[in-house]
Amino acid sequence: MADLFSNLALGFGVAFSPINLLLCLIGALVGTLVGVLPGIGTIATVAMLLPITFGLPPVGALIMLAGIYYGAQYGGSTTSILVNIPGEATSVVTTLDGFQMAKQGRAGPALAIAAIGSFFAGCVATVLIAVLGAPLTKLALAFGPAEYFSLMVLGLIFAVVLAKGSVLKAIAMIVFGLLLSMVGSDIETGASRMAFNIPELADGLGFATVAMGVFGFAEIIRNLDAGAEMDRDLVQQKITGLMPTKKDLKDSFPAILRGTALGSILGILPGGGAVIASFAAYTLEKKIAKDPSRFGRGAIEGVAAPESANNAAAQTSFIPLLTLGIPPNAVMALMVGAMTIHGIVPGPQVMQKQPELVWGMIASMWIGNLMLIIINLPLVGIWVRLLRVPYRLMFPSIVIFCAIGIYSINNAPVDVVLAGAFGLLGYWLIKHDFEPAPLLLGMVLGPLMEENLRRALLISRGDWTVFLTRPLSAVLMATAAFLLVLALLPSLRKKRDEVFVESET
Amino acid sequence: MSDTPSHAPVRSIMPKWVRGPQDFVGGIALMAIAVFALWASSDLQGMHGFSFGAGTAPRMFAGLLLGLGFAVTVVGVVTEGAHLATYAWRGPLFVSLSILSFSLTIRPLGLVVSAFASFMIAALGTPETRWRETIIVGICLTVGCSLLFPYALGLPLQLFPRFLVQ
Repeated sequence: MADLFSNLALGFGVAFSPINLLLCLIGALVGTLVGVLPGIGTIATVAMLLPITFGLPPVGALIMLAGIYYGAQYGGSTTSILVNIPGEATSVVTTLDGFQMAKQGRAGPALAIAAIGSFFAGCVATVLIAVLGAPLTKLALAFGPAEYFSLMVLGLIFAVVLAKGSVLKAIAMIVFGLLLSMVGSDIETGASRMAFNIPELADGLGFATVAMGVFGFAEIIRNLDAGAEMDRDLVQQKITGLMPTKKDLKDSFPAILRGTALGSILGILPGGGAVIASFAAYTLEKKIAKDPSRFGRGAIEGVAAPESANNAAAQTSFIPLLTLGIPPNAVMALMVGAMTIHGIVPGPQVMQKQPELVWGMIASMWIGNLMLIIINLPLVGIWVRLLRVPYRLMFPSIVIFCAIGIYSINNAPVDVVLAGAFGLLGYWLIKHDFEPAPLLLGMVLGPLMEENLRRALLISRGDWTVFLTRPLSAVLMATAAFLLVLALLPSLRKKRDEVFVESET
Repeated sequence: MSDTPSHAPVRSIMPKWVRGPQDFVGGIALMAIAVFALWASSDLQGMHGFSFGAGTAPRMFAGLLLGLGFAVTVVGVVTEGAHLATYAWRGPLFVSLSILSFSLTIRPLGLVVSAFASFMIAALGTPETRWRETIIVGICLTVGCSLLFPYALGLPLQLFPRFLVQ
């Protein structure tokens, strides 16, 4: 316990330095700014803004990136409520009741509750990270290569089970991602693999390049398809009465609690993440409500629960990254990319060798959430005006911004071309109903999986049963197999589809 | 991705026994990628003893992808599924051209020229573009990026064409 406080004190000491406070503020602001723009999801936002953190010291860069991440998350919910356009997948469910509230002239309370819920969830999640961080790190040290490999398999299976759409196609995308990660030099022998003597490929495909392609460029191209259909029926009336009433607070408080709890748990699970948390929280609220018919007609719980859940999950998903070095979702995968660029290898060692980095980031999350609530409520008017910028002007700007961003990572023009190619690939994937998120996750985990698989087999002298004979590894593998079977069972599939269909009605 | 399964009556070029063309084509494409990867990694060393060679993992994943692609194809044949979506040409073409022009011109011509030109090319991607406002926004964006990246963020980007600087 004493450790916890001294750690947190260290963290706040780092985070409260003026420069880090400023970076946190800028991150949260810019994240919200980009998150508000429809058609740019969290992943694309983080990928796009990654280069602007390169010039910073590692702590500052990570603090800023974390700020961008939850800023984007919050920006997404603002647009969901005001204009019925979810900025990201995590806030799709928020549109259901949030936009209805806005139509009834209650946009103010909806936004306020979303912010309060997010802040509360953020506080809880921050404490949770601090509490769980150290013990999980100890656990991580007991992990050998076989356990790591099994854990990653489990994480990927989670990602598949919780993803939308066909299980088979999601697995195919993961394997495609694993295959893409093989491009470049072999870690052990240094042999060039599938690089076709292109010098820029010798180091492998960059995460940022691929992410910007399949999420950034592909989304732009797809939105252009929709073209003139993208009309935005804005809530035109002025937002008055920002503060929620006493009744609103009373109604939403239990929902916030439940959302936070659900989100925290789902966030820790590898592959889970914020999207499923918000869906699950909404479904739960609807199930236990006395009068479920209120949902979809402007029930404040329908805003409070999913918003708290997605924010809680967004933050607790840092736990596996910081303790085990395994990114549980695509955004965290980008964080790994950012850390690697700064020469940090995420994992248990970071927590011991660079405590100021880890705890500084954790403390800054709490500060960032506080900043979000303070800056965003007064700035809502500006965000709404931003939405009136027509897409015909916005998309070329995004293209150029992304292009400069990718170029500046390595000063390599080839990277820009590659990102463009991945943009076309992403467009094709969307057209064939393949989800790009598992692909990115597979790509990030690929080298880690290969390395641990090799080591595990080397240690066991080529015995493949090592994954089943070591108890911890066996448990992980069994859980993965169990989940996969569950996902393929027709009854659960139907339930799972229902959860996702709800969002589209 | 709600707009993906377009239910518009597309002229089907698929044979009748393909019930889900979207999956059918998707699966075949994945198999093609897998075969390509198998070919590309065929010159790499395989297992020796019980330690992996450079080519073991790539071939393993490619083999897996081949199997999964085949499974997706089979699903496309057996179960009723979405038609092929229609592709637009204008957006993809001009966005790609814009990216290409950026990567070709950034080194020799510098950020200012390259960003502005690429902005204009990208703007061709939609018929809704109104040129006067696009030019104004393009200039503002170029100025903004020229200040943001090299100065505020300290990234080593060249601003002006090389032949002017020297």
